Amino acid sequence: MLRYIAYRCVVALFLVWVVVTSVFLLLHLIPGDPAELLLSQGSIAADPAAVEALRERMGLNEPLWQQYLDHLGGVLTGDLGASFRDGAPVIEQIATRLPRTLEVIVAAALIATSIGVPLGTYAAIHANSFADNVISFFASAALSTPVFVVGTVVILIFAQQLRILPAGGFVPFSEDPLGHIQLLLLPAGTVALSLLAVITRMSRASVLEVLQRDYVRTARAKGIVRKRILRRHVVRNALIPVLTILGLEMGTLIGGTVLVEFVFNWPGLSGYLVAAVDARDYPEVVGIVMTISILFVFLNLVIDVINAALDPRISLVRR
Amino acid sequence: MTDAPLVITENLGRNFPTRQGLMGRARDVWAVRDVTLSVSKGETLGVVGESGCGKSTLGRMMMGLDIPTTGKITFDGRNLAHMPGPERRRLARRMQMVFQDPFGSLDPRRSVGAQVADGLRIHGIVPDQNIKEEVRRLIEQVGLSADAAMRRPHEFSGGQRQRIAVARALATRPEFIVADEPVSALDVSIQAQVVNLLMDLREELDLAMLFISHDLHVVRHLCNRIVVMYLGRIVEEGPVAKVFGTPAHPYTRALLESTPSLHPRNEALGDRVLPGELPSPVNPPSGCPFRTRCPIAEPECAQAVPPLTGPTDTWRAACIKAGPLKHSWNQ
Amino acid sequence: MNKAHRKLILPGVIVFFITALVFLAPILPLADVREMSIPSRFAGPSASHWLGQDEFGRDVLARLIWGGRASLFIAVGSALAAAVIGTALGLLGGFFRGVVEVLTVRASEVILCLPLLLLALLVVAILGAGTWPLIIALTILYTPNYARVVYSATLQVRSLDYVTAQTAMGAHPMQILARTVLPNIMPPLLVQMSLVIASALVIESGLSFLGLGVVPPTPSWGLMIRAARGAMEQQPLLLIWPSLALAGTIFTFNLLCDRLQSVLDPRGITGGGAFWLRKNQRKTVENERVAEPSTDALLLVEDLSIVLGREGRDTELVRGVSFKVMPGETRAIVGESGSGKTLSGLALNGLLPDVLSINGGRALFSTREGAQVDLTRLDEDAFRSLRGREVSMVFQDAAAALNPVLRIGEQVGEAIRAHKEIDDAALDERIISLLRQVGLPDPERRVRSYPHELSGGQRQRAMIAVAVANEPRLLIADEPTTALDPTIQAQILDLFKTLMADTSGMGLIFVTHDLAVVSEIADRVTVMYAGEVVEEGPVADVFERPRHPYTAALIASVPEGDADRLIAIPGTVPTPKDLPPGCRFAPRCAHAIDACTTHSPEAEHPSLDRRTRCIRWKDVT
Repeated sequence: MLRYIAYRCVVALFLVWVVVTSVFLLLHLIPGDPAELLLSQGSIAADPAAVEALRERMGLNEPLWQQYLDHLGGVLTGDLGASFRDGAPVIEQIATRLPRTLEVIVAAALIATSIGVPLGTYAAIHANSFADNVISFFASAALSTPVFVVGTVVILIFAQQLRILPAGGFVPFSEDPLGHIQLLLLPAGTVALSLLAVITRMSRASVLEVLQRDYVRTARAKGIVRKRILRRHVVRNALIPVLTILGLEMGTLIGGTVLVEFVFNWPGLSGYLVAAVDARDYPEVVGIVMTISILFVFLNLVIDVINAALDPRISLVRR
Repeated sequence: MTDAPLVITENLGRNFPTRQGLMGRARDVWAVRDVTLSVSKGETLGVVGESGCGKSTLGRMMMGLDIPTTGKITFDGRNLAHMPGPERRRLARRMQMVFQDPFGSLDPRRSVGAQVADGLRIHGIVPDQNIKEEVRRLIEQVGLSADAAMRRPHEFSGGQRQRIAVARALATRPEFIVADEPVSALDVSIQAQVVNLLMDLREELDLAMLFISHDLHVVRHLCNRIVVMYLGRIVEEGPVAKVFGTPAHPYTRALLESTPSLHPRNEALGDRVLPGELPSPVNPPSGCPFRTRCPIAEPECAQAVPPLTGPTDTWRAACIKAGPLKHSWNQ
Repeated sequence: MNKAHRKLILPGVIVFFITALVFLAPILPLADVREMSIPSRFAGPSASHWLGQDEFGRDVLARLIWGGRASLFIAVGSALAAAVIGTALGLLGGFFRGVVEVLTVRASEVILCLPLLLLALLVVAILGAGTWPLIIALTILYTPNYARVVYSATLQVRSLDYVTAQTAMGAHPMQILARTVLPNIMPPLLVQMSLVIASALVIESGLSFLGLGVVPPTPSWGLMIRAARGAMEQQPLLLIWPSLALAGTIFTFNLLCDRLQSVLDPRGITGGGAFWLRKNQRKTVENERVAEPSTDALLLVEDLSIVLGREGRDTELVRGVSFKVMPGETRAIVGESGSGKTLSGLALNGLLPDVLSINGGRALFSTREGAQVDLTRLDEDAFRSLRGREVSMVFQDAAAALNPVLRIGEQVGEAIRAHKEIDDAALDERIISLLRQVGLPDPERRVRSYPHELSGGQRQRAMIAVAVANEPRLLIADEPTTALDPTIQAQILDLFKTLMADTSGMGLIFVTHDLAVVSEIADRVTVMYAGEVVEEGPVADVFERPRHPYTAALIASVPEGDADRLIAIPGTVPTPKDLPPGCRFAPRCAHAIDACTTHSPEAEHPSLDRRTRCIRWKDVT
């Protein structure tokens, strides 16, 4: 088991390196001078002297390999450069905002799994019944509604019409715990909705498949009670592919937070990215993309390890 | 039968190295080792052995579908192993294969006729305008009605599909056919149809055939010569009557004894059961591969792999205590 | 056209309608999307503006259709471009493996390491907003998706025998790719395609919503929602229209994808749930105990019939099967595939698939307490108390029949615990002694093994341990040695014999297709053909002098004698849907006369303990 985790960590580190390198290459090999792009406003050309100064400041005049090494070194020491807009170190912004984004993701994942797995299992057992059709329809509908639409509609309903929850904003947990949770509810619920749909559908499909397996028949042939068959044989095995899907969905989930933070004015990392892209603040964009990618790789690592614990067949020689 | 064998393998070996863990060293796993045999025109060579003995890998290598790690395969005097692609594809006309799974061996999306015609087109066997006629002839040759050509594989039963697979193999007018468990997936009553078909074709077309099977009854019925394999190596080779009548190798004897029969022998089943299981090819026993399960093993067996020598020139066994033993199976 | 195909019509028609609408936008009589009318800002639906007017007084319906045009153009365009590139990469990588695989599939998978929307943002940050940068960004994003799907499909198809057959035939690799591989990977490719269109719509609208996608004044659904958000207090309808259009379109594509999947990949449709797990699913018949112990047999099956389908147009798979099992007796049920032998075995343990049901006959089983129960009338709960304790089963494929994620010890243990209160120490002891009894080497260590760590023979031994854990009175073994090699098969057969000798009074029903195995293990044999019992009697007698032409032909087709030619039975087994009238074997029978095809033969008794279903048994055997 430890060996497996170590192996996955090595792979994760490699992926992070790939991400860092590709982000670097993407920024430097694409035609167009970032400095010039940054300083020009619409059709007005930038002042060449100012461009040159900025190039110098950004280190763009050094050879590419030198820039690459500096960049790698920066990443390793936690120095992601300073923001163009206000000159503040990017890493500080990330440090304050990352926990807020994580909070939304974790809350959403918890809500979605704790409701989705039982719901999907129920639908599978009662496949083709009325209840199953209702669950499946709502899952498909939730899956088909983009997260920003859900968010906006949710604000319309809960904040504007019913006026029971705030439309958006943020207070630190330490200042106002209740207010914090009230503010968290809508964004987390919005992100959770589409994930809930995915997990429900996946659990349904997975349980349906496991129900056809010979070992479930064997369990019945042993004469053990339904509850135990369901728990030990059906759900246990059905969870394995569901978790794998959860890992793949992390990308959508993180992408979802970008939009949700924007919609609800939640000052997390993802929403900040939108502002950085809008302002073409490259150090910020690179820093945030990298952080989120590392987070993504890390979350997948966690899921893989849980999966390995559930499935003894997973071994080092996979792939 | 012509004098020179059509296909000859010499010290054929195939290694599938597997890596254990990320940093682990690759370990050799020999699926086939030191296999030397030959097949002549009009002859059917049966390869028997349990799963994992390397018989399918051997068949694939003899078809040129897998590249041997060691040794060479000569087809009509030409070495198959290091042949460039185009030449190998031309040579493909003269050797064909019939597979085990009647459901996987035909493309579900193309009509039966189109698939039989592939070989005709690729090698230009008959002029384009005669292809239809030739396909009809082939399909009728394997005992199906000519309108089968228009239909898709899913409309046929397992036995019929296997006939179609045979027709497809015959299309290029091959001289050598590798049949890898062609009847194992079929019901007994259907199995007999296909076995009869293969026997007829062998007579009619003077085919050389490598018949791979784990069913000793079928092999004995169909083949002239037998090769018995265990853990990648040949343990006994010889004419059917000798190998099955008076097996020289203890594994051959065990295999024959453990095969159920319609006419139960007098001894109790328990006395005929071979203990233990096939050793892992990752970690084969030293010396004779069979010694861990052999009822007559001696300390000497662990010393070296016994050479394949035998009672006669055409009948050989790899056992230091080899000796023909009268066996009740083939009274 | 079957049901799955019909289900494609609805999403197909909607997709066609949406496509037609946005395609025809320039020639439809729509209002100008840019024509503002400040006085009628936020006007509700009216005759001239069916869906109302937006914050600049522009016509919402026109903007909705033109917005859909922009969104769909981007989504479909990038999905197609990515499909072409991704399929090429995946095909080459999957077919040639090695270096090609690293260069194509593995390289493009790097992109999958990043969250999609994030990557899109990154590309937009570099290329700027607008329609074409979006198409390029989405194409890059989705190429690896296709590459991966096509790659794994190619790998799967490539290993199939019909592709190997093409190689063996000397076809050129490129020819094989185009003619054989590509058509066979179309199903997953099509499914992926509709999935990607839906996903691209989400990303495109999301970016536009953030103001980083389509540039105003070009209308787009994302932009419309963004604008409506600011005005939702004045006019909530403005938010509802584009939201509905967007969600509806994505929903349709997702639906299309789901239904395509079930049409193209029928394996994907897995069963209809589990009736036995539902709480309220009880048979209407009371669990009745048959009063008079009418027989000394352990099991007496009479006229058992099994049908496919619940009511109405059902297909009879097994008809009128009768046999009995005495205590200590081994009864073989032998037949080819489709003979109904396995179903008969499953029915006796209440394990028939949900789509099948028993519609006639009875199966009287004498319990340990001496009572008789009719196994055809039990509900799930009543069966549960019998299973394992009274009637137990060994399945064919032990690798599939054992739960892959539980240790062997637990799987044996839960069978014991199901019927007995037992403390942990005693349970462990019992498990180990059971594993030793079935001849599993090193049982103390094996209890902690997972099924995949055992060899095929060892797994079958563990399976048998599970079955005999509670010393059942009746053991039903369904082809327990079919997947095993001869030497291992002999070991397992020997184990069954030992178990029978050691357990007094246990009956064994041994289902197999192998006549030779029958003669090795069974006392009495029941021969089945096309859902019916054709012959029955003591094994030695039946094999010595078969009283039914089918049994005789079956024996003659085993290549064991010295005959030069095997006697093959012509034709094939009829399917349950078109059974011949009269005797079901008549069309393949060498001795059939006219009377055979007119009415179904009744069972006849050539001697006291034999039965045959042939009207000519006296003449032909």
